[in-house]
Amino acid sequence: MTTPATPTRARPAAPVQRPNAVGVTTTRIDGIPKVKGEFEFSSDMRMDGMLWGATLRSPHPRADIWAIDIAPALAIPGVHAVLTHEDVPGRKVYGMEIPDQPVLAWDHVRYQGEAIAIVAADHPETARRAVAAIQVDFEVLEPLADAEAAMAPDAPRLHLSGNVLRHVRINHGDPEATADVVVTGEYEVGMQDQAFLGPESGLAVPDGEGGVDLYIATQWLHVDRDQLAESLDLPPEKVRLELGGVGGAFGGREDLSMQIHACMLALHTNRPVKIVYNREESFFGHVHRHPCRMRYEHGAGRDGRLVYVRARVVLDGGAYASSSTAVCSNAACFAAGPYEVPNARLDAYVTYTNNPPCGAMRGFGSVQVAIGHEAQMDKLAAALGIDPVELRIMNAMRPGSRMPTGQVVREPAPVVELLERLRAMPLPPAATGDGHDPRELPGGVSNTTRGESVRRGVGYGLGFKNVGFSEGFDDYSTARVRLSLDGGEPLVEVHTAAAEVGQGVITVQAQIAHTELGVERVAVLAADTRVGSAGSSSASRQTYVTGGAVKAACEAVRERLEALAEERGAPATPAAVLGEGEAIEETVEWHHRETFPLDADGQGDAHMQFAFSAHRAVVDVDTELGLVRVVELATTQEVGRAMNPQALLGQIEGGTAQGLGLALLEEIQVAEGKVLNASFTDYLLPTILDMPPMRIELLEHADPEAPYGLKGVGEPPNISTPPAVAAALRAATGRELPRLPVRPEHLVGLDPGPSRASRGPTAGSGR
Amino acid sequence: MPGYNRAPVSAELTIAASAQGRESPQAQIDALRAAAGASGLAHESGPTSTLLAGGRAEVLEATCQAIEAALDAGARSVDVRVEATEDADRFGTLS
Repeated sequence: MTTPATPTRARPAAPVQRPNAVGVTTTRIDGIPKVKGEFEFSSDMRMDGMLWGATLRSPHPRADIWAIDIAPALAIPGVHAVLTHEDVPGRKVYGMEIPDQPVLAWDHVRYQGEAIAIVAADHPETARRAVAAIQVDFEVLEPLADAEAAMAPDAPRLHLSGNVLRHVRINHGDPEATADVVVTGEYEVGMQDQAFLGPESGLAVPDGEGGVDLYIATQWLHVDRDQLAESLDLPPEKVRLELGGVGGAFGGREDLSMQIHACMLALHTNRPVKIVYNREESFFGHVHRHPCRMRYEHGAGRDGRLVYVRARVVLDGGAYASSSTAVCSNAACFAAGPYEVPNARLDAYVTYTNNPPCGAMRGFGSVQVAIGHEAQMDKLAAALGIDPVELRIMNAMRPGSRMPTGQVVREPAPVVELLERLRAMPLPPAATGDGHDPRELPGGVSNTTRGESVRRGVGYGLGFKNVGFSEGFDDYSTARVRLSLDGGEPLVEVHTAAAEVGQGVITVQAQIAHTELGVERVAVLAADTRVGSAGSSSASRQTYVTGGAVKAACEAVRERLEALAEERGAPATPAAVLGEGEAIEETVEWHHRETFPLDADGQGDAHMQFAFSAHRAVVDVDTELGLVRVVELATTQEVGRAMNPQALLGQIEGGTAQGLGLALLEEIQVAEGKVLNASFTDYLLPTILDMPPMRIELLEHADPEAPYGLKGVGEPPNISTPPAVAAALRAATGRELPRLPVRPEHLVGLDPGPSRASRGPTAGSGR
Repeated sequence: MPGYNRAPVSAELTIAASAQGRESPQAQIDALRAAAGASGLAHESGPTSTLLAGGRAEVLEATCQAIEAALDAGARSVDVRVEATEDADRFGTLS
């Protein structure tokens, strides 16, 4: 391969796979090593002579800094460097879209956990002691901890240009339209964490010539590199990144965390420097899902047809911008859901506060508003006396429907089919008699009920979101493909910068190469910046865009092979055309179709592709204890083409689990800007015991513009699960439950009602 | 300018505040920041630096206003570094 050698860390040869073709399940090459504990995650990396980095963080959500004294830390034996903002060689702020976040704080801190100083020492404990020895003179200020309050004219300005980071207004049809039947609702969603199991970690290695190599768990190598080069004041070619083993991402690794810090320390000490956050620090080291407040008004005719939707959505962006502007746009664009809505006014705001910074997380923007628009559809169905699923079907978006942004949904949009197939799935049987298996009751064997106050509910939810980057961003990926003979056998090598974050993009690249070139043996090289950008492993885009790039590069290789075969009068097979040591190599930059910015009325073809999914949740609620057991989750999803069916099911199950977590368990508790539960003891994640059996049906209506007809699949399950669980809880309890996650205290204190043995699905079930 | 969806043009203004100025050095920095902040485009980018990011015309206009405010407050020197993204309108004509 015509790529320069990485100078600082030997890498193993890329393993050779024998993948199946596209559409046939292929076992992930990283799966078995991960299960056996043999996979090298970024936190496992080591080098001889490396130092350990650590970070001093603000204990205050808002404060002025009057002085920083690093002398006590420098005096500790084993400490090699203590750096502050004065040591940042280049730009002192970074950010993917808006460079507003200090690499290291100078005069102010704007959130609890903001980085102030960094240390390199010969042992991690020494580094931690040095961090503790740094003295900072703070003047603590009252935090601005509420997104609505941040918009008040007299609110303190957290940034020079004010606290409203973005406001998107969509005016569609007659925004002031009136209707016969009107329902309103206010909803709130808490701050969810990505809760990836592999904490932030990386290893920076100076190359001895002023440059640096960084081995890092991230989602987008090239945007990391560009921000690093800017703050390190180095040309991009002097900053080389290679993907370390990523232990989950979900948007939380799209921003920088310790990347600049590790490189600064490595260049300063001329030693390799490793930084690994512990679990508590990880909660402060990455952005989270935006907490959100929504006010909705839906108007419909008495026949159930939607007349208008009005929504006001306020997202708390926290201290720095991250990707908040894109989240805000999605919240506005998808606020009305996958329905035909002739009139709408949709306002979304995102503001700065002194809360933890929020940014990308699986389903960004769409997750929050789906909780609102789906609750509204259930409320409207109740007001009209129409079955909630029937109401959704009546108003469902279809191919050719126009979104409130004016964009026509061009590709298959089988919302009706999703709902009808979901509704047709059998419901789990209601438990009967008094011989309950205690493991099947809410709370499991540790519960104290015998089932006498347990109620069942069934609810439905739809999810709707864009795939890929929108609003005019030139979204592309680069693939280099090389075909050669290796020991007499054809071998395809695929090189991209696509970050494998657990979604299976390595495997799907191999499948595509095998499918296009008909070669059994495929090696996918390590993702790094020696090849062009692949864009981010986010927005459900990587299989679409990098898959498209690999396909195009393979086609270019195949054309050259065929031309060579004709020239040499040989069959167009690698073994017949190529000699040992001979190779065909092509690099292709592949762009998806153009998108456009939204105008002042929120109108424009802003999105490239749309994803749809539906969930049905069946829950049992112990109304005395407030405990919930999710009995079953069923889902239908439009996937275009199931590229690797087993991996796709994994995405759906994982996304559903994360959605269940948001509905019932997962929230970063923040009070006056301070995080109260920065641990997996107090931040509750669903485990295998919380996940019910799933029924999954895939729809494969090909998108004619997409490679293989595929659709992005990672995010939709995360969008349609929370509203379905919330609807099931409302059906079981009759309560409004306007806030997610729903907590036990929201569910207790109901009338005893009928016993568990005598009840079936309740009103609102759609059956 | 690197990054995802960065603004087309940025200008980083670094003030060398003068102790001989009409206002105190910090007041000179504050004057520049207040003027920059009013444009809706500004963020702090260092103890004495301010970053303006947006469309070309608005950034250049705001840059002039911020420099004027600093000079009015007695600043003697403002360093300006203007950068454009690859796909930004070039510096031919002001739109």
